[in-house]
Amino acid sequence: MTDLLPVTAMGDSAPRSESFGPLTLSENAGLALASLALRQGQDAPTPFGLTLPDVARAVTSGELGAFWTGRGQWMIEAEGKAESDFAAALKAEAPGCSVTEQTDGFVVFEVVSEAGTAPLEALMSKLVNIDPKTLGPGCCTRTGLEHMTVFLVRRSETRLAVIGMRSLAGSLWHALSQAAHRLEY
Amino acid sequence: MTRLNGGLIDRTRPLNFTFNGKAYRGFEGDTLASALLANGVRLMGRSFKYHRPRGVIAAGSEEPNALVELREGARQEPNTRATVAELYEGLSARSQNHVGPLHRDLMAVNDLASPFFAAGFYYKTFMWPKAFWEKLYEPAIRKAAGLGSLSMLPDPDAYDRGFLHCDLLVIGGGAAGLSAALTAGRAGAQVVLADEDFRLGGRLLMESDLLNGAPASDWVETVRAELESLPNVRIMTRTTVFGVYDHGVFGAVERVADHLATPGDKVRQTLWRITAKRAVLAAGATERHIPFADNDRPGIMLAGALRAYANRWAALPVADAGDAVAIFTNGDDGHRTACDLLAKGAKVLGVIDTRADAVAQGDYRVFAGAQVTGSKGRLGLTQIEITQGGHSSWHAVGALGVAGGWNPNLHLTSHHRGRPHWDESLLAFVPGQGGPQGLIAAGAAAGKGGTAEALADGKRAAQAALSDLEIAAPEIMLPDAADTPSAQQAFWHVPGKKRAWVDFQNDVTVKDVKLAHQENMRPVEHLKRWTTLGMATDQGKTSNISALAVMAELTGKTIPETGTTIFRPPYTPVSLSVLGGGDTGQHFRPHRLTPTHDWAKAQGAEFVEVGQWMRAQYFPQPGETHWRQSVDREALAVRSAVGLCDVTTLGKVDVQGADAGEFLNRLYANMMGTLKVGMVRYGLMLREDGHAYDDGTCARLGEDHYVVTTTTANAGLVYRQMEFARQCLWPELDVQLISTTDAWAQIAVAGPKSRELLSRIVDGFDLSNEAFPFMACASLTICNGLRARLFRISFSGELAYEIAVPARYGHALMQRLMEQGADLGVTPYGTETLGVLRIEKGHAAGAELNGQTTAQMLGLGRMVSQKKDGIGAVMSRREGLDADRRRLVGLKSVSPQEQVAAGSHLFTEGAAQTMQTDQGWVTSSCYSPHLQGYIALAYLEDGDKRLGEIVTAANPLEGRELRAEVVSAHFVDPEGGRLRD
Amino acid sequence: MLIPHPLLGLRDAQEFTYLGDASLLNRPDPVAPGAEAAFCDYVFLRDNPAGVHRELWFHEQGDRSWLVVTRNTVTHEILSAELASDVKAGAAQ
Repeated sequence: MTDLLPVTAMGDSAPRSESFGPLTLSENAGLALASLALRQGQDAPTPFGLTLPDVARAVTSGELGAFWTGRGQWMIEAEGKAESDFAAALKAEAPGCSVTEQTDGFVVFEVVSEAGTAPLEALMSKLVNIDPKTLGPGCCTRTGLEHMTVFLVRRSETRLAVIGMRSLAGSLWHALSQAAHRLEY
Repeated sequence: MTRLNGGLIDRTRPLNFTFNGKAYRGFEGDTLASALLANGVRLMGRSFKYHRPRGVIAAGSEEPNALVELREGARQEPNTRATVAELYEGLSARSQNHVGPLHRDLMAVNDLASPFFAAGFYYKTFMWPKAFWEKLYEPAIRKAAGLGSLSMLPDPDAYDRGFLHCDLLVIGGGAAGLSAALTAGRAGAQVVLADEDFRLGGRLLMESDLLNGAPASDWVETVRAELESLPNVRIMTRTTVFGVYDHGVFGAVERVADHLATPGDKVRQTLWRITAKRAVLAAGATERHIPFADNDRPGIMLAGALRAYANRWAALPVADAGDAVAIFTNGDDGHRTACDLLAKGAKVLGVIDTRADAVAQGDYRVFAGAQVTGSKGRLGLTQIEITQGGHSSWHAVGALGVAGGWNPNLHLTSHHRGRPHWDESLLAFVPGQGGPQGLIAAGAAAGKGGTAEALADGKRAAQAALSDLEIAAPEIMLPDAADTPSAQQAFWHVPGKKRAWVDFQNDVTVKDVKLAHQENMRPVEHLKRWTTLGMATDQGKTSNISALAVMAELTGKTIPETGTTIFRPPYTPVSLSVLGGGDTGQHFRPHRLTPTHDWAKAQGAEFVEVGQWMRAQYFPQPGETHWRQSVDREALAVRSAVGLCDVTTLGKVDVQGADAGEFLNRLYANMMGTLKVGMVRYGLMLREDGHAYDDGTCARLGEDHYVVTTTTANAGLVYRQMEFARQCLWPELDVQLISTTDAWAQIAVAGPKSRELLSRIVDGFDLSNEAFPFMACASLTICNGLRARLFRISFSGELAYEIAVPARYGHALMQRLMEQGADLGVTPYGTETLGVLRIEKGHAAGAELNGQTTAQMLGLGRMVSQKKDGIGAVMSRREGLDADRRRLVGLKSVSPQEQVAAGSHLFTEGAAQTMQTDQGWVTSSCYSPHLQGYIALAYLEDGDKRLGEIVTAANPLEGRELRAEVVSAHFVDPEGGRLRD
Repeated sequence: MLIPHPLLGLRDAQEFTYLGDASLLNRPDPVAPGAEAAFCDYVFLRDNPAGVHRELWFHEQGDRSWLVVTRNTVTHEILSAELASDVKAGAAQ
């Protein structure tokens, strides 16, 4: 175990979390990410027993999940594994595939609504040009948000993960928190 | 006070406001215009060109005249239409475009000089001398002719943007819009209903018509309540849909807080981008007037507006409640106004109807076959002249309503160059073919302005849209309503010698249209530009059709032959603040921070923006008062000990696949497939036209696994280019790409003591030159088990490494290296020092790779492999590029303390300095603390053969030139021994 | 504009980066006789029709796919959108 202490994408020792009315934004610093791309002509593997999802879909199974990112490409997620070499573990589960460590390429903000879908969809309407009706539970997409590129993974009716570039964590937090704050008025 | 009974104002909620400093009172539900009229104020401003006294013309967003400066201080907003400014407690407004008080405008002298100011006056008069235009004429004209003034202070309010998606967008919440929204809402479709007013109902609020035997506002309220209860319907009042864009994208501005004194925690306005599968344009119609002599006095307005003020706002635009009102009309609609005004208890002089067979519809006098031929009243209407059967007589009136017919608000249907179509029976242009797909006009906007027909047409339009979308539409019951008579005569203006205004806002008269005709400016597009007709902020909503009817009359053509101008966005003015939207200042655009940003900040670093990145520029130490002191110290520390620099910003792309090597061979000018696993190679990318594009390193981590780096600036572009090559050029190759720029914190450890420093943190990894030579790379662990990547590469020319760890450990790694290197003199350095070090070593960067240079010019011609194809390979060998003899060289200032400015041009000493004798240019320059003098990199003709020569570096922009010696670009360690030991 | 992405459906054009004429897919054979002239045409000469045009769009803020979009440059009507890699692979067969 290394004796270097990690910091979160926001530069803190503990993940950021803040509530705005019914919405809570939380940085998920524990989520490990690794990309998986098929080699030419290769069949999709089932790493950790996950059936890799179809276009614009996401699946979860316990602490693990996968979402589609492009043709023949997925991002595999593992809750609480951010400080392990998750890419190596995935590589072992998906022999022959191209696997790349992505954990620290991204910052993950989980947005949770305590008052149904409406606040979540209102927040989306201020930030992304995506029809919330087409991004139901189990759907994912990649799109623009305030000149940044983000993955959106709709984990449930009331929960949305916004996954952006790690170096943009501060700007992304600003955009999300300001929009959530403005919904209170 | 001229307040009538009734109306949709809340008399229990009085609101105080000021106009030109004087206090008045209105009620909730008033606009500034209705409140002023109810207070007997008719004079609201001065006209654009002639400074004529002006009052309200209209009751909606088409208002050309009543423009005021609203609010104080930084929120002062010029050219606000009083007709759409909602009254709020404490509102403060001022009239504009006058010198001295409004009722004694000194600039009114322009009106006396009006014979000189006819159309085309400026074009003809201020043509010469040419130089006078910019310095004299234009500023003077701008000062004299103009509208409101800006506060010149930054806008203190926040603006927002947002995105909506729906099946049906309904534009306008009047009779047609409400019936369309109700039809689609009940069908379960996703509906957005937008209306520019603060209250739904449109014209229904302004008419006395009954729906189901009750006031129309009752029905509006019932529908509003039902729509609000439907989860699939979003009602947006105070929202103007201002433009239609391709494929069902609409722009709209929601005035979230314009009706409040200050926005408080709200945003002021929101810019919405609405993507709608179908849209119903139910924007209503705008009334036109009939130009006659002196038709611009305060108190003369559109008859429909007169009716609207009486019915909705219980206001009459007369100076005194006892003053009579007259109506001038060419059709039945004027009579409707007369009836409504009588019902409201106004004194009606009569209706002057141009039709000989006109009959009264109520208890008022009709002047059949008559015209209004003049008006009097210095600051507001007092008398009109009525001419009937050759006899003229003057009559005392306080207000005159003019009813010239209604023009459908078809603007949005012509945003895709859809041409309006002339309907002779309606005497109006209606939406034609070729408009935006999926946009269906309904109600008055489609020429169906009767209450019953608008209600039915809205339903029809929604049903058509739903049918397209295969959504079943339920049959809905519409309220009982009647269509009032709407016959009219084609009567466009009253002939006469005096000035009759067509376009009030730009002061264009019938005479100006005639002048345009005389000058052969006859096509509508010429008419518009010659006279400035319809070019003001109202875009001619009340004037365009009248003007082209006059032109048609003069040319003897029909109106459809004369044609009409079409419209473009925005429908009504949109503030730049809301278009800019979002954040200002620090958050104007996103910033990317490096993993060591907070650490560098704590060290007191100065930062510089590099694209989106914020990078440490230099690290000032106590006692350093000038950046050069910091940079010189940092650079010397790297050359003598060891320095640390965060280089995370370099683009990193992970390249995998069975054909990864072959793919990189084709991407780079040089060979990459032959690279050994565990080694790094410098790579140069060309553009397909043969010029140098980007450079970086390529590390082979495994048999089928590479990581390439790009320059910071080009990271996104190079990635795009790599995807282009993979998908569009060679999809048959087995290769997978993904960016990993942010995933790894990468720190350059440079200097003769870098090996020593690194040896203190690696977990037993052999760093010896034999085990890990120059250009080696490896995966390893450091600091007790943290996975890391190590590259032995150098940008400075010193023994150097770059070490990468997962980004979350970057901050801690930097701290650890600083602690471990304290005794070695470890020094953090920023981008300035990075620049100095690379110039000293002769490494190319952005200034050398500026898109105009070749591999040969960079001295890298031999790198371009002749054995293989690659992007740019063929074109790099073409004659024009191949023959370029300019080469990258170093320059040393002959006077070492004088800087050779980047951008200077190079000439042979003593030669004339012309384009023909130009021999190259200086790309980068800096002070070299190592050489203790100014040095530079430059491209010079035959530079590689001119070492030792003195050339002239001319900087004519600053009037300077100096002498410089041509030297090798490698100022430091040209043999490269330091790198390799 | 909305681009009918073959995998993702209608997507706003703001997510895309435009490149231009899809003839860029047809990179000349670098070793064929007259390669330099062919490359000159390929790099510098583009059709710019008023009407139906096949053009390249990159879904930069999306799945990073290159698309061949057939679009009428006068009406902006989009007639089709295909994955460029499929178009290229299809042409090779």
